[in-house]
Amino acid sequence: MPDHEIALPPELRAAISRDLRPVAPLAPPVARTLALLPLALLLLGAAVFVFGLRRDAPILGMKLTWMSSALQMILGLVLAGAALRESVPGTTLSRRVIGLAFSTATIGVLTVTWMTWAASPTTILPDRFAFVWRVCVFGTVVSALPPLALSGWLVARAFPLRPRIAGALYGIGAGLMADAGWRLFCHFSDPVHVIGAHVLGVAICGIIGVLVAMTSSRQSAVSSRQSTV
Amino acid sequence: MDQDELRQLMTAYQAGSLHAFERLYAALAPAMLGYLSTLCGDRGQAQDLLQDTFLQIHRSRRTYRSDLPVRPWVFAIARHVWLMDRRTRARRPWTDRDVPELPVPAEVEGLAERDRLHRALSALLPDRREALLLHHVWGFSFAEIGQLLGIRADAAKLRSSRAMGDLRKLLNA
Repeated sequence: MPDHEIALPPELRAAISRDLRPVAPLAPPVARTLALLPLALLLLGAAVFVFGLRRDAPILGMKLTWMSSALQMILGLVLAGAALRESVPGTTLSRRVIGLAFSTATIGVLTVTWMTWAASPTTILPDRFAFVWRVCVFGTVVSALPPLALSGWLVARAFPLRPRIAGALYGIGAGLMADAGWRLFCHFSDPVHVIGAHVLGVAICGIIGVLVAMTSSRQSAVSSRQSTV
Repeated sequence: MDQDELRQLMTAYQAGSLHAFERLYAALAPAMLGYLSTLCGDRGQAQDLLQDTFLQIHRSRRTYRSDLPVRPWVFAIARHVWLMDRRTRARRPWTDRDVPELPVPAEVEGLAERDRLHRALSALLPDRREALLLHHVWGFSFAEIGQLLGIRADAAKLRSSRAMGDLRKLLNA
């Protein structure tokens, strides 16, 4: 197809020249993901530092306590990194990659849950169930808020073309980072509790991520419409 | 203009060069106008969207990294601008009376007269037509189309080859 030259409209040229300050390009997604690492490490140790290590840690050993939590934290960072990549135009993730990321995280969490339950089955007394459930859901969601806010800010600095997907990725990523620390304190390995409280907390973080990303995207669209550039 | 030259211009534009922006506009605007015309089916509307796209490119220029090819980045922004515009308008189906001025892939240019080619192109499924034109007219690789549309490279290839098959069938009918 012959590409005819198209004249640059004077209004567009004037609008661009009015706002032509130099900008620093964004760092690659890996480098931006590393900005979340200190926070993720802090969350890994925070619950243990405040509340102490889970009671069944000697039975579980290093592999099912710290190493499993470190794996969960890494899965969370990978999801946040995927959100940061997704938020740059032209590097959109395919459905297969997104599905793979979510299913790897799900399989990872379910495997750790099952192995922990097999090594040290601890259930909650019926009269304490609701209280423990509230503490674990609330604890996971609240401790996920700092990485959720930071990754939301990093994504908003880019230009996510599919904010729902970016938000779900970094929301669930932040939830996994938070729960990686929370599971080092909570010694109830009953899958009903882990899935019904901890995984639910991670899912709530995913929903918060979607809402935050959509709101932020809508606000930036509104401010774009209001400005000439 | 080759990829390296576009990358250098984009880097100079990020550093604040108006001349680089003007050269980028000259290099990219014709293909982007063709792409936007393909998406929205109206040349006049595509021209408005082209200006909106360049404003959006300006706002988002910091998200470009020099290790990325420029064209998938700008085409992805153009596609987003069109999607946002489409949300604010009622969808208008294409009719025989308003066949848009679609670019024609060189592979099928000799198969029929231009008017018939345009009608056949406009009768293709939109997602197939988009992949076909991105590859055969604007020279995107299937990996780049995949990243632009959020699909796998082999899915982009499949869409393009199915569109080409459909186009040949329509022209032979």
